[in-house]
Parts: sequence; structure tokens; C-alpha cells
Amino acid sequence: MTRQAFIAALLLGAAPAFAQTAEQKLDALDTRITRLEDTNQIERLQRLYGYFVDKGQWTQLSELFADDATLEIGGKGLFVGKKRVLEYMQTAFGPDGAREGGLANHMQFQPIADVSTDGKTGWIRSRAWVMSSGGWGLPLYEDEFVKENGTWKFKRESGPFTMYSSWEGWGKNALNNTWPDKFNPAPDLPPSTIYLTYPAYYIIPFHYPNPVTGKVFMPETDEVGAYAAPPGTPLQEKWRKTGRLVNGSQPIYTPPKD
Amino acid sequence: MSAHRIIAAALMLCLAVPSFAQVDLAGRVAAYKQRVQLIEDQDAIENLQATYGYYFDKGLWDQAAALFTRTGRFEYGQRGVYVGPARIQKAMLLFGPQGLAAGHLNTHMMLQPYIVVAKDGKTATARWQGMMMLSKPGANGVWGVGLTNADYVKEAGIWKISSLHFYVTAQTDYDLGFTKSALPVEGPSALFPPDNPPTVQYRSFPGAYIPPFNFDHPVTGKPLKDIPEPVDTVTGRGAK
Repeated sequence: MTRQAFIAALLLGAAPAFAQTAEQKLDALDTRITRLEDTNQIERLQRLYGYFVDKGQWTQLSELFADDATLEIGGKGLFVGKKRVLEYMQTAFGPDGAREGGLANHMQFQPIADVSTDGKTGWIRSRAWVMSSGGWGLPLYEDEFVKENGTWKFKRESGPFTMYSSWEGWGKNALNNTWPDKFNPAPDLPPSTIYLTYPAYYIIPFHYPNPVTGKVFMPETDEVGAYAAPPGTPLQEKWRKTGRLVNGSQPIYTPPKD
Repeated sequence: MSAHRIIAAALMLCLAVPSFAQVDLAGRVAAYKQRVQLIEDQDAIENLQATYGYYFDKGLWDQAAALFTRTGRFEYGQRGVYVGPARIQKAMLLFGPQGLAAGHLNTHMMLQPYIVVAKDGKTATARWQGMMMLSKPGANGVWGVGLTNADYVKEAGIWKISSLHFYVTAQTDYDLGFTKSALPVEGPSALFPPDNPPTVQYRSFPGAYIPPFNFDHPVTGKPLKDIPEPVDTVTGRGAK
């Protein structure tokens, strides 16, 4: 083969490979764009959930959930399925709609959304800042989402409380976590985790690793409690052992790394 | 045949052979470009509204009013509608002097955006959550919260606010809180009356009102604008 023929063969040989590479590049681009769209949509779902809570739009809220989704808020236990989510909301908080004298803003902030490599499952860690007629509140969320026929929906909502207080403020007042029979309806399953709220202390596991070290941060699983006194003191030892995790029936997954 | 001519011939072959693939690739690139454009548009709108908030916080009325279109509409609580940047800028003086002054706190946070960009990329709508931390000289601090419904339009490649409606939801004295204090919203100014009366009559807390959802439900696809309004015993709205 002459040098010139070799060059031509090389170019011709390279051509299909080049075209294939372009397709592959576009496939990769598609994946990246889809990922941005997916995390965006997950953030929007979480925000809209908050807007519906603000105005007591329980039917609209329940429509954000997949048919087999679960919901767990505070210490109330698990509600299984979209219908039960709606029943819970309407029984516990009244029929759809806002009411005079009521303010129940659950403002949704600070979302960290992720999507699985196959693009079918999503997660979010985010917070609500509650400003209500009753006082202040700080729920956290570690929620899971599922993409069904191209539409993202809540698959699991896990919303442990950090702190609730009256308008006296958290310097003077703190409400206990809720519990399964605090108000109707009764949950379908007991709480996945037993924990206490402020002034006690609980960290719901993160669905993602530390973005810099790449290591998964695991909160203590056998002891969670308050920082209530100097370390080593009997009071602190007592508080440290307050609010043990039970074996969760709803594990928090770490999405696979690309 | 020189090497150049061989390369040229080879390149022509390359281009000629996969014509279907070329068309397909061009189509894909165009589709992706549009999807990225919509994401960029949403980001630009998020920045636009956040920028509006930063200007409004500090009494930079000239800067804030410049973000509106020529026929842009500004409506705050029950104060009525002001139309056009010049009128909007003047109306904002009702919140304090340009650049504010000692004793003023005018923080209106722009949070929790739900932005929907039209498929054609020319218009958009958004809903925003707005915490307020307010103060005026000689008065106690105020906690507040409200919702913004806004419309945007892209003019010559730049997103602008075509309509901004801030619904004050609730305001309370800093020290008392909502258990003990509910501050009413202000009505239209006698000093500088609006161009149009309020587009809707509503009371802030303890009144209940749902600013219309200006987008469709993302799962059911059904409009949310017809969500029933709660009963208001003063205005009579919603009463059967």
C-alpha cells in the first residue's frame, strides 16, 4: 500500500467510526441534558408539594405521588399508597382548602436532587421552613422519586422533624415529635425510625456521599441524641442514648456513582 | 493524485455516504439545543427574579423598575396596579426613599421558584415564595410572608418582567407573632394612586386566600387555576 492509499484508507476507515463517535457523543449529551431536566423536575415537585401544603390542597398533593408511594412525616408512622396519603392529609388536617385564621406555610428550600444512572429513580434532600399561625417548624426531607411513563412522582416521602416551637420561640419552647396515635388516622406501619426532635437531635441518613471526599457519611446508627451537656457527663450520656434508631423498613439508598 | 486531493475525495465520500445519519444527527442536535435553551431560559428567569428581589430589598427602585417591559405591570398586595417602568419606579417610593434610609429593612426573599417556560421560549410564568423581614423608622420589626406570581417575556434575547403580582399572605409584629398579631395589607395610595385598582380583593392573615396557581399540575396535566377559593367572611368570596 502506498502512503497515499494508506491515508485514504485511514480516512475512509475512520469515517464510519467518526460518525459513530458523533452518535455516541450525542447519546452522552442526551444523558446529560436529561439528567438536568430530571433533577430540575424533582426540585419542582418538592417545591410544588410545599405550595400545596401551604393552601391545604390535599387532593392535588396526593396526585404528586405514585400509586404505591409511602409517606412518613415526623413520628407519625408510614402511610402506604396514594389513597392513604390523601386520607391522612384530609383526616389529620381537614378537607381541601385554606381556612380563615390558619397559616401553614411549608416553604421548600435548599434542594439537593440526584438521579440514578438508569434515570428511573431520583432522590432529594431538602428542608421546609414552617411559618405557621402556631409557630415555627423545621422539617427535613429525604425523598425518593420514580419516573413513570416519563413523569416524575413521589415514591417515598420521609420527613423527619428537626424542631417545632410556638411563637414563644425555640429559646423558650419546643414541641415533642409526633407519634402514631397522637391524632387520627392511625398509620399503616409504625415509624421506620424512632427519634426525638429538638432539643434532642437526629440526622436522617444522606442519600448521597460527601461530594468532595466521595465517602458516605453515616450518622451513628445505634445512638442518636441531644448535645445537652458537656461530653462524658452522666446527663450527656443519658441524652446520647435517647432516640435509638430501629432497623428502618425504608432504607435510604445511595445512588450508584457514574 | 496528491495527498490533499485524496483527503478531499475521502472527506467527500465520508460526507456523502451517511446522509441519513447526517440528517438524523442534525435533527438531534437541534432538539438538544432547544432543550438546553429551555434550561438556560429558566435559569435566566430565576436570576432575573432574584435580581429584582435584591434591588427591591435595598430600595434600588430605578434598577428594579428597569427590569419591567414597557407595558409591564406591578401589583403589591392591595395597592393596585402600576403600569410601565416610570410609574412603577415612582410607586416603589411608597416603600421608602430611593436607596432606603436608616431604620429601613425591606427584605423580600425570592425563594422556591416554580418556573414554566413556554415551549416556544418566548414567554414564561413563575410562582415564588417570599419571606419578608421589614422595618420602618419608629415602628417595630415585622415578619411577613407572601407569594409572587410573575409573567416574563423575552425581548431581543433578554428576559424581562411583564407582570409581577406580589400577594402578601401574612404579616405580624416581630415580638408578638401570629398568635397575637395580624397586620393588615395596605390599600391603594392616596398620594400616588395606581393606574388600575387591585385585580382581586383579598385579606391577608387571618383571612384566607389562594393566589391562583399559574401552571398545570405536573402529573395530572390538568389546570390548577380553578382551585376553589376559601370562604372569606368579609368579602363574601367563596360563600355559598
